[in-house]
Amino acid sequence: MTSRWTWRFLALPGVVWLSLFFIVAFYAVIAVAFGNQDSFSQPVPFWNPLDWNVGYVLDVLRDIWHGGQYLTVFLRTFAFVAIAMAVSLAIGYPVAYFAARHAHGKWGGIVLLALVLPFWINYLMRMLAWINLLSPDGWATRLLHSIGIERLFISLGLLSSRGGWLDGQESTVIFALVYGYVPFLILPLYASLDRIDQRHIEAARDLGASPFSGFLRVTLPLSRPGILAGAVLTALPMFGDYYTPDLVCAAPKCNMIGNQIDQLTRQGSEKVTGAVLTIALAVVLLVLMIYYLRATRRAGKEAAEA
Amino acid sequence: MPGVGMPHPRDRSGLTRRQLLQGAAGSALAIGGVGALAGCENTTTPIGGGGGVNSKFVEARPLGPGGLPLPRPDYAITWAITPDNKPIPDGRKPERGPLRVYNYADYIWPGLVKRFEKKYGTKVQIATYNSADEAIAKLAAGAVTFDVIIGLSGSNIVNLLAQQLLLPLNHSYLTNLEKNIWPELQDPFYDRGARYTVPYVVWSDGIGWRNDKLKEDVAAMDVPWDIFWHAQPYRGKVGLLDDKRDALSMPMQRDAMHAGTRPDLNTEDPVIVAKAGRDLEQLTSICNIKVTITDYQTLPEGKTWLHHSWSGDVVGAAIYYMPKGVKPDVLSYWAPDKNGVVQNDFLCIGRRTKSPALAHAFLDFLLDEKNAYDNFVQQNGYIPPQKQIDADLLIKQGLIPKTLTGAVTRPDQFAFNQELLQLSVRGERLWDDAWSKFKAG
Repeated sequence: MTSRWTWRFLALPGVVWLSLFFIVAFYAVIAVAFGNQDSFSQPVPFWNPLDWNVGYVLDVLRDIWHGGQYLTVFLRTFAFVAIAMAVSLAIGYPVAYFAARHAHGKWGGIVLLALVLPFWINYLMRMLAWINLLSPDGWATRLLHSIGIERLFISLGLLSSRGGWLDGQESTVIFALVYGYVPFLILPLYASLDRIDQRHIEAARDLGASPFSGFLRVTLPLSRPGILAGAVLTALPMFGDYYTPDLVCAAPKCNMIGNQIDQLTRQGSEKVTGAVLTIALAVVLLVLMIYYLRATRRAGKEAAEA
Repeated sequence: MPGVGMPHPRDRSGLTRRQLLQGAAGSALAIGGVGALAGCENTTTPIGGGGGVNSKFVEARPLGPGGLPLPRPDYAITWAITPDNKPIPDGRKPERGPLRVYNYADYIWPGLVKRFEKKYGTKVQIATYNSADEAIAKLAAGAVTFDVIIGLSGSNIVNLLAQQLLLPLNHSYLTNLEKNIWPELQDPFYDRGARYTVPYVVWSDGIGWRNDKLKEDVAAMDVPWDIFWHAQPYRGKVGLLDDKRDALSMPMQRDAMHAGTRPDLNTEDPVIVAKAGRDLEQLTSICNIKVTITDYQTLPEGKTWLHHSWSGDVVGAAIYYMPKGVKPDVLSYWAPDKNGVVQNDFLCIGRRTKSPALAHAFLDFLLDEKNAYDNFVQQNGYIPPQKQIDADLLIKQGLIPKTLTGAVTRPDQFAFNQELLQLSVRGERLWDDAWSKFKAG
């Protein structure tokens, strides 16, 4: 009994913190989205749901329904995030697999250190570094040219000219998103792969499975919760990102929904619309979170039954 | 000029609250959203405004947002001085301070601030803002209190006065105003008699380009703005100012130059504003235009070759940002002699200042010729409207190359060009809509 109350007491500061800085703040955004603005173009939140004004919400819904600008930006954001996620997974899974299954002894420590190293440097600083690395005479540009990636991208229509990585390219934004967020995918994936009982894989091999078949039938399904956790951890910040497209592209065709929200809320007369888009993005992310929670619960149940 | 009482362009015509409750609101998607919100209002018409407490400022026709008139060159405004907010009396000694200054980042030379501190035995505390909107919102909310505000312009003055944020000035403390400042800006149309503001720096909107990269002589073109619509060869190396008013007014100027007419760069005509937005949208396919305000770095570094620019940025680029081995005369700048954009930022004193005499001293200090020159040369890049500072002087001193003569704003440009001024709430939204559509790609 005492222990139960102790834990409740200890949890209290965290609960209060979350209530103040998440729930109240989020409700404030909702109150603005369902509010109005004054004659100085400043938002006037409507705190009472009975007073809510749906004018701005309808505006955004109508724009999306009629295939307007917000739909364009939402679809582009989905495309960028989906491609960046797929590339991140293709890059991150082998790294996490190697770190969990094959890097033993001091190598294990070195690989782990390498995985957390990017977190030592601020995301914005890492992105700013790429502006120099990807400039026409930057090191990365020269490397991408010498190993043929640049030519491949030009032939695929993903790059407009030689050395033009910063000339407003969508591919550069996706590349930067992958670079920026792939550590967030690798770490949970590593933890998940590291927890897989080696005896499951050995049993598969004993029953005649080839290494590849064993990976497909045992390792991959068992690492699914890690893939999902990594995907959620990377997708959520990617959806809200706006500084990456700003820094490495700056062309309108690279703008993500975060850029629209930033532009609308920072200045001008459309701050309420900015709040509506914030809510719309939150709803999309909520749907993804619900899928993640259901999938992990199902995976947990299956594992228990096995 | 439309006022706040006029229908808003995004008012929901024909969609009443009753219809909403009956679920007759168009698409299934909309109905889904509306169902949960039955009983709610349905409007985007701003609340408030229309005179009220603010009308006591008005000496001329009351028009525009906040119940105040919108100043225009052909409709100058003398802002009233109200009994509850009078200038300080003559002859006060500067207070001990500290002096709290609200400014854009890097918009004043720190050496000049130290010079002021030494002269008046005080401390200057500078806080920065990122946009005029942010500054005014924080000032109005009482979140910040400042003695001096630097960097706002004619496009903000109605908001500042409507929200009663400024202290009227006493010119007996501002002897440098008449002595040093261009007569054209001593008595501006947006603040007749300079009752609340004095000018800080000036600039024009124009085209900055690398003359070693572009084959065209932009300044020699019939309509130089056309270069952006012929910029296919420079795809990815072309930039547009990331500011809705400056950017959208560019195609308006282009159209007017072609037609030989005078544009209204503060128009609230939906057709003209929408066309400007569509014209800008063409630039995405023509040259994949970037939307930035970093031309002061990207032009000298060669990351952009052609940029819609503020003249101060190009001057600053030549003085501070040229990479090793690149001479500043690779930069060129053109701005129209007439029917273009010229602007000035002003200095003003916060109504709730605790050091009004010291704040006046600071304003006069910044209007001093040497101080204004040092501020421009050492940090700012934006030219002060001082009588003794002109292009000839700057070229003679080797500060800028001849190719940037046009980037040094002249007093006569204020007579034939236009300032981008505050719009009504309706007008503001029109411009925001067009800008948002363009930026969505």
